[in-house]
Amino acid sequence: MSGRPETDTSRPLGLLAGARGVFDVALDAMVWSRRSLLMAALLLLPILFALLYRFVLLAKLPAQLRGVDLYGVIVALYYVRNALPLAALFYAVSLIADEVEDKTITYLFTRPITRASILLGKFAAYLATTLTLTLPSLVITFFLLLTARGFGDVAGSVHHLFRDAGVVALTFLAYGALFTLFGVALRRPVIPGLLFLFVWELLALLPGYLPRLTLTAYLRSLILHRPPDENLAEVFGQVLPVATSLEAIAGMVVLFLGAALWIFVHKEYVLEQ
Amino acid sequence: MTRGRTVVSAAAALVAAGGAIALSALFLGPSAKAAVGPMPGDALLLPADAKFVGGIDVKRFVQSQFYVKYASPQAKGRPETFRELEEKTGLNPERDIDQVVFAGTPPGGAARENAIVVAIGRFDRAKISRTIETEKKGVTSKSVQGVTLYLFDEGQRGASALAFVDDRTLVMGSQAAVEAAILSQSQGGKTLKQNASIMALLEKVRPDATFWAVGDQSLFQNMPKNVPGPGGSGQITLPGLRSLTVAGDMDPAVALEITGETIDDAAAKNLADVVRGFVALAALQSGQRPELKELASAISVTTEANQVRVNARVPYELLDALQPKPKTRTQGAEPEAGK
Repeated sequence: MSGRPETDTSRPLGLLAGARGVFDVALDAMVWSRRSLLMAALLLLPILFALLYRFVLLAKLPAQLRGVDLYGVIVALYYVRNALPLAALFYAVSLIADEVEDKTITYLFTRPITRASILLGKFAAYLATTLTLTLPSLVITFFLLLTARGFGDVAGSVHHLFRDAGVVALTFLAYGALFTLFGVALRRPVIPGLLFLFVWELLALLPGYLPRLTLTAYLRSLILHRPPDENLAEVFGQVLPVATSLEAIAGMVVLFLGAALWIFVHKEYVLEQ
Repeated sequence: MTRGRTVVSAAAALVAAGGAIALSALFLGPSAKAAVGPMPGDALLLPADAKFVGGIDVKRFVQSQFYVKYASPQAKGRPETFRELEEKTGLNPERDIDQVVFAGTPPGGAARENAIVVAIGRFDRAKISRTIETEKKGVTSKSVQGVTLYLFDEGQRGASALAFVDDRTLVMGSQAAVEAAILSQSQGGKTLKQNASIMALLEKVRPDATFWAVGDQSLFQNMPKNVPGPGGSGQITLPGLRSLTVAGDMDPAVALEITGETIDDAAAKNLADVVRGFVALAALQSGQRPELKELASAISVTTEANQVRVNARVPYELLDALQPKPKTRTQGAEPEAGK
């Protein structure tokens, strides 16, 4: 008999212990994947633009185009409206869908971990991977653009950097929760996800209470950059109160993630032969 | 440590290093005081009892199309006083001043002598001080907490003052207000930071606005309650305003965003209707000047709960069209240059 206490493998691990184990395995698989290579290209693009601005365009562009304005455009128009929701879509819908497609979900179910641990561990790995790709890019872009004409602009914009980093995390959390729900509830979740992003989210441009039916209106309201919009957005663009936005996002994350957990725990997966 | 965790840790270290550099720039940099909305931290010495605060990002304004078109030396719109000021003091406002912030109470208010202006930029203090001492008559000076105050018409009603708080910050205004600002800096007295309503309004303004202003409820106490209706038909009762914020930009078009907060939703709708009435009145004048119709269509009025938002976005082509036309030269008259 060995000195180690024997583990009872017939009982599943606790929720957090199980989620931590899944997180480690999923993180390795997610960080070193072709999907991450593609998403890295998408999310690190602002660094390339900032380098181009700093070393090529700065001397040619009119002086009124300041680094701080370009940084605002990158955060508000590129990251929060387009790149981050798209990255969330491609990662989050595949958290479970990939396992089903590869027919490896049954191996996960045979492990002594609860289904809730599997989903939470994978969701945590998704958040860690997307933030690992985005936050360094945000910080490097900030410094490259804001120090282009000296260090003077940095102090006045530090609050932007921290606020934007928080909004990036909330964007991944909110869209990630929604697309995880799509991933566990739908057989082909990518097309509905794209329709949500590029059709439904356009409600944010309309007047009245319609923007409150979208995710993007709340997230856009949390950042302080307001680059000039065109057409409908210029006329009707609304900035919702910060407290309302945070409450709505928190409510939606709980709702979407709760629904995804409930479906995943109760769904019977029949794999096609 | 797994490869995944290594990558995450490296990214976290990079983000933490960036955050640390940013924070050190905030606390140790040249503009160490944090800005509030569009207002630079250096201007927080403004008085706590200000009813309105406004400012202009001079750097942004000077780089705008508006300045280039209408106010630059090339456009011959530069005031002559700027040239004289530069000759005497070495101060070129367009080049040396970054921001101008002003605060005060409305004309007729009880604390009228609280008007104060803070200019932030780069100043040749010695040259400016020498000019004040030699050129101006009736100038006296005194030291307040080690800061030299130049007093104009000291002891008289409406006495004003000017002082350099530091190398980047010039304060001018009424003597009482400037003295109070310097004392508040050195003794940790009451500054604008203690004015919760103005600070809350400043937080709502875009930090990158070229010009901006905010005013709280007390600003509107002395305003008329009625205005003549469009077309002079009767009187219109104006709903009470709780606060007003204004923010504007000069590029790519002249854009203005005014947000007024009223006491309730009904008052907001009422006020929006009044504004729409005036906009429609402008559109009716389009028979004589078609540009006015375009100008009216560039203005939108919306309400949300107890807020009224007026947005105007005027392209430069329209601004050009609104400029007074040069008078047609009489036949046979020779152009000036041809003489």
